[in-house]
Amino acid sequence: MSDVTLAAPPTPSALPEQPVSAHDANSLISMRDIWKTYEMGSEQVHALHGVSFDIPKGEYIAIIGPSGSGKSTLMNLIGCLDTPSKGEYWLNAKNVSLMDDDELARIRNQEVGFVFQTFNLLARATALHNVELPLIYGGIGSSQRHEMAKEALRAVDLSDRITHRPNELSGGQRQRVAIARALVNHPSILLADEPTGALDTHTSMEIMDLFERLHGEGNTIIVVTHEHDIAERAHRVISIRDGLIEKDEKIR
Amino acid sequence: MKLIRSDIYENLKMALATLRANKLRSFLTVFGVMIGVITVMLISSIISGVDTAVKKELESYGTNSIFISKYNPGIHIGRLSREERMRKDLTYDDAVALTQLPAVELSVPFLDIGNNFFGQKILVSSPGKTSAAVALQGTLPDFERAGTQIVKEGRFFTQYENDNNEEVAVVGSSVGQDFFPYGSPVGQEMGIGGRQFRVVGVLEKREQFLLGGGDDDQNNIIYVPFNVARKLKPGSNDVYVQAVARKGMMDEALDQITDLLRVRRQVPFGKPDNFGLQTAELFLSNFRSILSGVAIAMVVISSVGLMVGGIGVMNIMLVSVTERTREIGVRKAIGARRSDIMWQFLIEAATLTGFGGLVGLSIGWLLTFLLRLLLPSYVPLWAPIGGFVASVGIGLIFGLWPAWKAARLDPIESLRYE
Repeated sequence: MSDVTLAAPPTPSALPEQPVSAHDANSLISMRDIWKTYEMGSEQVHALHGVSFDIPKGEYIAIIGPSGSGKSTLMNLIGCLDTPSKGEYWLNAKNVSLMDDDELARIRNQEVGFVFQTFNLLARATALHNVELPLIYGGIGSSQRHEMAKEALRAVDLSDRITHRPNELSGGQRQRVAIARALVNHPSILLADEPTGALDTHTSMEIMDLFERLHGEGNTIIVVTHEHDIAERAHRVISIRDGLIEKDEKIR
Repeated sequence: MKLIRSDIYENLKMALATLRANKLRSFLTVFGVMIGVITVMLISSIISGVDTAVKKELESYGTNSIFISKYNPGIHIGRLSREERMRKDLTYDDAVALTQLPAVELSVPFLDIGNNFFGQKILVSSPGKTSAAVALQGTLPDFERAGTQIVKEGRFFTQYENDNNEEVAVVGSSVGQDFFPYGSPVGQEMGIGGRQFRVVGVLEKREQFLLGGGDDDQNNIIYVPFNVARKLKPGSNDVYVQAVARKGMMDEALDQITDLLRVRRQVPFGKPDNFGLQTAELFLSNFRSILSGVAIAMVVISSVGLMVGGIGVMNIMLVSVTERTREIGVRKAIGARRSDIMWQFLIEAATLTGFGGLVGLSIGWLLTFLLRLLLPSYVPLWAPIGGFVASVGIGLIFGLWPAWKAARLDPIESLRYE
């Protein structure tokens, strides 16, 4: 990339895009011409064809797209579970695209809080222990860990459930434990993958209310979904189709 | 590098929880390890027990005693060599000559007269019993001074009785019980080889473990004066000799006896001895070399058990890794590094086998209690420590591959795993 202003990706869609430039130092997330290519036998499949966007700190953003759009790939990249084949990803002023496995693990531990569709709690562990888990990998001592985990559970209104195991909790409660686990390390971003996909409508609304509240408290939230009513709760929606950004709009 | 960042304690707690959740499976998995550890415990305790018993028994023959015969010492397998069979007898005069040596306190000859001149067993009888199955030996009263056999009742025969060919006998404790079950044998008459002997003493029972037992009972013996024995078996010259070294002069005594016997038996310079010296110490070291061979064989056998156990652990850990693929994915997503996952599974495997080891130690320990009813055994400290270390080590070694597989899993695929 000798001349960054000329290195704009092909943009077949109609989005008036910013030119690709060096990462924006003010953004929490800065994606620059991200490509992800998979080898399928002899064929190369491009899951992402040069995606660029910025997310400032404190934003509530939804990434929406049908299955096969590259939405999951993008989420894995944002969550530092994977690295791009090409392009630069800056997270909190760190160039993640060049990191090795252990550095990525550390970034996931410190900067990213995951919330999954199926909660993914450890079945045999109590709510408290589940929430403590990221702190264990963060090398935090047990008494401090307890305090932090209790506080995170308090933040999701589960103070009275800390000794319960997942099978003693309702779906909504489980997801709240998962959110507490995601928040316990005070990460830069809360990254939720279809967070209401396994919940009924009423509970879904409760969880979305919780996200809204957490956003109000200053958290940066990224929700990946294919449901429009979930996406509409966010303040900005990025639509992905065929590995490209189709639309990127502020809705609030 | 903070390799064990998510401290061992946390992992241990998780491992124990997994263990509890899969009780039966865990138990079956570590069965091989348990058997291995039990074997180690039992074998070590048997070996230590045998060793102690043999040592004690040999010491009862006197740590200062040197046993001399015309044959080589040690345990013989098969026929003696022609050279050994052709050796000339060790004689009464040799025994007497040894008493002149400065390092030798005393020297007693023994003449075995179990068979008479014609190769027939000499019959022994009391008013109630007749038997040919009694060891008969002629010796001198100095034997009592050697201190290896203590007279419990009555007295030993005297030099006067020997010199005057008096037909008196000192009997071993078994002979006393067998031939005179009611009352004391002392003062009673016994028939030996058709002559009437008077019992003058009964010996203390000799504890025996290795030597004797059954027909070879060391207490089933009658000692008669040397001169009388010679009359019962005319023409018999071959004796074995028990010499006792002066205090602290064992090595000198061995040297002096060897030198003197080489001269008396005309062994040419540079040729090997044509007689054998045996001491409790020598015997013990021979015995121990055999015992350590047995011990090594047993260690090999029990390590086969541990290996089989290890394969079982590897198998179950591979299953566990597959079952928990999703959990591994989650852990990686929330920040576990490869080394964290690796340690988690290694410690889980080691906990599993370590637990099996502990169960094995407890069972083995109880069994050694039962063993103690048969044998004065003890468990040497290295056995439980070695057994435990080996079982934990098995977990670490055989857990390595499953743990490595777990650590290498791709987080994205693992999270998608159903």
